[in-house]
Order: sequence, then structure tokens, then C-alpha cells
Amino acid sequence: MTDFDLDRLGDVWRQQPDPAEMERLRRSAIAVARRARLGAIVDVVAAIAVAAVVILLVVANPKLQTMVMGSGAILVLLGSNIRLRRLRRIELKGLTGTTEEMLDQSIARVETTLRHHKFTLYATPPLFLATWLGFMMAAAPRPDSIFGSLRATPWFRMSLMAAGFAAVVGLAIYLIISIRRGRRELERLNAMRQAYREEGDAPAR
Amino acid sequence: MDLQQTATAPAPRGGDGSNGAVPPFERIVADYGPLISRIATSYEADPTLREDLTQQIFLAVWQALPSWRGDSSLKTFIARVAQNRSISFVTKQVRQPRLAELPERLEADTLNPEEEAIEMNEREMLLAATRRLPLPQREVIILVLEGFSYGEIAQMLEIAPNALALRLSRAKAALKSMLEQGQ
Repeated sequence: MTDFDLDRLGDVWRQQPDPAEMERLRRSAIAVARRARLGAIVDVVAAIAVAAVVILLVVANPKLQTMVMGSGAILVLLGSNIRLRRLRRIELKGLTGTTEEMLDQSIARVETTLRHHKFTLYATPPLFLATWLGFMMAAAPRPDSIFGSLRATPWFRMSLMAAGFAAVVGLAIYLIISIRRGRRELERLNAMRQAYREEGDAPAR
Repeated sequence: MDLQQTATAPAPRGGDGSNGAVPPFERIVADYGPLISRIATSYEADPTLREDLTQQIFLAVWQALPSWRGDSSLKTFIARVAQNRSISFVTKQVRQPRLAELPERLEADTLNPEEEAIEMNEREMLLAATRRLPLPQREVIILVLEGFSYGEIAQMLEIAPNALALRLSRAKAALKSMLEQGQ
């Protein structure tokens, strides 16, 4: 390959897959599209179902408390749907924009995720302690109730504390791993961004 | 190909004859499946991860298709989505992409076994060398090898023709050097 002819290399590059490979690609693509279509339908059906259940509960029990809780639940549902759609729009912009725009968006996304993870990592232990203290200091439930009798049992309190502690430790480990992974991803994204800057491309706009 | 001339010429609307109308997904897969597969192969050497990447590209194309307005050819649009998805896929991998490559199956009816072996070897070398290029150069070389005009590439990457020429000449020099070393 001594003569450097891009047209000839292009012919080598553009070899068509054989029919079996094409069939495998076709099946894979159709399965992906089917799953995506199904996912979109499930999203809509689930949102409608949850909203319907909340409305039914409010109608069946039309008190101020249930109405407030129902409205809150629907607002949360609506908010999460709007947020999901916004995220999809951002992702779509990243897919169809230039590579540099995509890299900028990815850097912003990883930085935001890192900030959230760090906040959760630092906020979880004090929050856990505060919850535990609140639980211990709260007015004791009636001793004849199930919760009251359970709370009076030492092994229950110990088990609850151990389970809560294990959950906090598990979450902390997960967050630390995610933060490390996120930092590595950020390093790679910044290196790629830098590679573009070093190319010294003048934007066409 | 005259870079200055072709880079300034806008790509024809729906240059693939689709006139801006989105064809059915199955048709897109039949027409552009090989393009998607080659782009995935040029970014990911591991066969399992490549399969995952190919599926992610198909999903990305499926999600992005409604936003295609026919202001560039469908092929250009799909190549852009495939490149962007491949780059984000590679950045999410903790390790660097491996350079090991399994042989790609080629069409056997046009070549005899000897020619096929030579061409397969050449293709493997080309793929391996392409994967070692820095990202901005790799992106340009892949699009050139895929047969896009310089005008389409400049439009797709939103860079000036002279910047494209510079990047392409660096990419060609690096690729040539790697291919000669690999002989």
C-alpha cells in the first residue's frame, strides 16, 4: 500500500457486508426500533394509568388532604415528564449537531452529574443521622400498636440501624465509584475538546 | 476534487433522492446499515461492544429521524448521528478502545480467495490505522472514505473549507505514515 490514493482506499473501505451480515443488521435494527416504540407507548400508558389512579383515589375520598396529595402527585408526574422531554430534546440536539457541540453538551452533562453525586455523597451521612435522631426522639407510638411493640424491641432498633447504615455505606461506595468514573469521562471529553482546539479549525459560521 | 469549489457548494436537498420525506425505517436500514456498521467498526474494535454501539446508533437514528428537515441529504444526517453517537460511546468507555480486530466478512462473488485475502488484510490495516488517528482527523478521514464530498463534510462539521483542507492533509499524512509502517 505504497501509493496513497484516497479514492482507492475508499473502495476498500466501502466493502458491502455479505447478505448474512446485512440480515443480522436488519434484524438488530428492527428489534431496536420495536423496543423504542414499545418504550414510548409504555411511558404514555404508565403516565395515564398513574394519573387515573390518583384521580380515582381523590374522587373516592374527596377530602382536602387527599386532594392536596393527589394534586401534588400529578404535579410531580407532570414535572418529571417535562424534565424527561427536555432531556430528550437536549440529547437529540447533541446527536444532530456538530461534534464540538456534542462534546460541549457531554462535558456540561458530566459536570452536572458530578456535582449532584458530590452533593449527595456529602449530604447523605448527616441526613441519615438527623433522620435517626428524629426517629429516636419522636413521640413513641402506642405500645399496643405493631410499630410501637416493634420499636420497643432492641433487636428491631439494631436491625433498622444496621440496615440504614448498610444502605448509606452502599450508596457512598456507589457514589465514589460513579464520581471516579465521571472524572475519567470528563478527562477524556476535555482531551477530545482540546484536540479540536489544537486543530485550529475556524468555524464556518 | 477541487476543495474550494466543492466545499462552498451546498449539499443538494435530500441528495439521496428522498426529497426531504423520511423513508420507512426498514428502508433506511437496508440503504444505510452498511454505513452505520462501518462507522461503528471504525470507532470500536471489540466485537461485543461494537454490536452494542451499532444498536445504540440505530436507536439514535430512530429517535433523531423526525428532526430531519431535508436541509442535508439523509445519508449526511445519518452519518452525523452515527459519528456523534460513536464518539459519545467511546468517551463513556473507561478503557481506551482496543485495537484488536476480527476479520470482517466481505462479498465473495467479485473477488477470488487470493484477492479477497489481500483486500481483507488491506481493509484491516486501514481500519486499525483509522482507529489510531486523533478524533478530529479520524472523523474527516471516515467521511472522505465513505465518499462524502468535501462540501458535505464541511457542512456536516460546520468548519471552513480551508480548515477542512488543513485537517484532511494532516489526517492523510498520519494515515499514510501508519499504513506504511504497518506493511
